[in-house]
Amino acid sequence: MSMNDLIATIKKVLEEVDVVLGWTRSPAAGVAVPARFHTPDEADGAIFDSTCTHNLAVHLPRLKNSKVGIVAKGCDARSIVQLIVEGEVSRDRIRVIGVPCPGVIDVKRAWRCFGFGKKIEDAGGRVHMEGRSMPREEILLHKCHQCQDQEPVIMDLAAGDVKSVTPPPPPDKTGIRERFAAMSIAERREFWREQFSRCIRCYACREACPLCFCRDACSMQTREPHWTGGQVNAIESEMAQQVRTSHLAGRCTGCEECERACPVGIPLMLLLEEQNRIVEELFAYRAGMSLEDKTPLLTYDVNRDGGWR
Amino acid sequence: MPKTEVKIIGFLCNWCSYAGADMAGTARMKQPASLRVVRLPCTGRVNPLLVLKAFREGADGVLVSGCHPGDCHYNEGNYYARRRMEVLERMLPALGIDPARFHYTWVSASEGAKWADVVNEFTRRVKQVI
Ligand code: SF4
Ligand code: SF4
Ligand code: SF4
Ligand code: FES
Repeated sequence: MSMNDLIATIKKVLEEVDVVLGWTRSPAAGVAVPARFHTPDEADGAIFDSTCTHNLAVHLPRLKNSKVGIVAKGCDARSIVQLIVEGEVSRDRIRVIGVPCPGVIDVKRAWRCFGFGKKIEDAGGRVHMEGRSMPREEILLHKCHQCQDQEPVIMDLAAGDVKSVTPPPPPDKTGIRERFAAMSIAERREFWREQFSRCIRCYACREACPLCFCRDACSMQTREPHWTGGQVNAIESEMAQQVRTSHLAGRCTGCEECERACPVGIPLMLLLEEQNRIVEELFAYRAGMSLEDKTPLLTYDVNRDGGWR
Repeated sequence: MPKTEVKIIGFLCNWCSYAGADMAGTARMKQPASLRVVRLPCTGRVNPLLVLKAFREGADGVLVSGCHPGDCHYNEGNYYARRRMEVLERMLPALGIDPARFHYTWVSASEGAKWADVVNEFTRRVKQVI
């Protein structure tokens, strides 16, 4: 895909929508930042590269009264489908521009390795910054390894050949997932206490999640129902995250935005990936795969569910 | 050393298990004093967070019981509950909570003896893991 393809596609879509959500390069940070394109001139600044990590679907429920175009990676497309299934976004108000996605990188980690603020470039299987480089496989987001969803499940127009991409290989290093899987239940109790003692209750996890659209009625914060207090301590913060996790059961598409947004690096995906695995095991269901789907915890099937006690 | 006293919170449906528990009581069947009952209109009311909140507040075990599938007073409450409870139970190990401390089941109003068994057996199991 060339940037010109993308820019031309955005301009075409702008003829029928009010705004297109995409990315542009931040001159200060050197990486992609979300952008809103209202005019063809603005669209000239559009880019797509492996620093386009943000899931722009999060903005759709907030733009209910406009016609919106959105540039979407495969995983973002699943969030869009789930939002439509849940009635938060209407299909006829949006135009989805699919992009061929090679996988996106953990920009915070790149900055830690290279230093902040220089242009990060991805070429020849390596991520480069000012003459230094590292293999891109080492710095991909976890979801991108063996991605099953590179071809967007919902798409009106494609910028480039979305079928041409191949999923990045599995991660080669053992990381937190393996360590967590090997822990006993008591060790996990201790692990979460420790992790949530760092939570600052900023709710960035919720704000970044396309499916956390309750806004001012979010029960991570409400007094009524009062699931958890506002005090910033491990117990209250863990309960707050249990509220959020349970609300995502059967809805989470595994986009990793919550964890990416968390400023203190709590590995929230350990919970969501496990819940998604359970939902798939029980209901053969992955959220956001089809507009015809019903969210499994909002329905039941007398015949198929009989196996449980 | 297994604990001798445990605290178990029971979320019971008013139309069946609560009545079953009542029957077991009236018939003076032997039951441990470990259970504190919260009466609900239907298991469809059991938000999984009620269970997690009970654990967080210090419950050793949490028991959810309602009408047998097919017999819900509101026709379908327990079909929803069954899905939610199954996901919750399987999530507990990742949350760092022993799944042996949680149990959901179906006990009708006429099953007083079964109720006593359920409570006795669950209490025994909770004592082992606490
Ligand atoms: S999960 Fe798949 S579609 Fe999404 S950024 Fe990674 S490789 Fe691309
Ligand atoms: S909970 Fe996290 S991974 Fe799941 S949809 Fe929300 S942001 Fe994405
Ligand atoms: S983003 Fe992280 S620190 Fe902020 S509320 Fe969520 S878990 Fe806590
Ligand atoms: S009324 Fe008893 S489970 Fe619904």
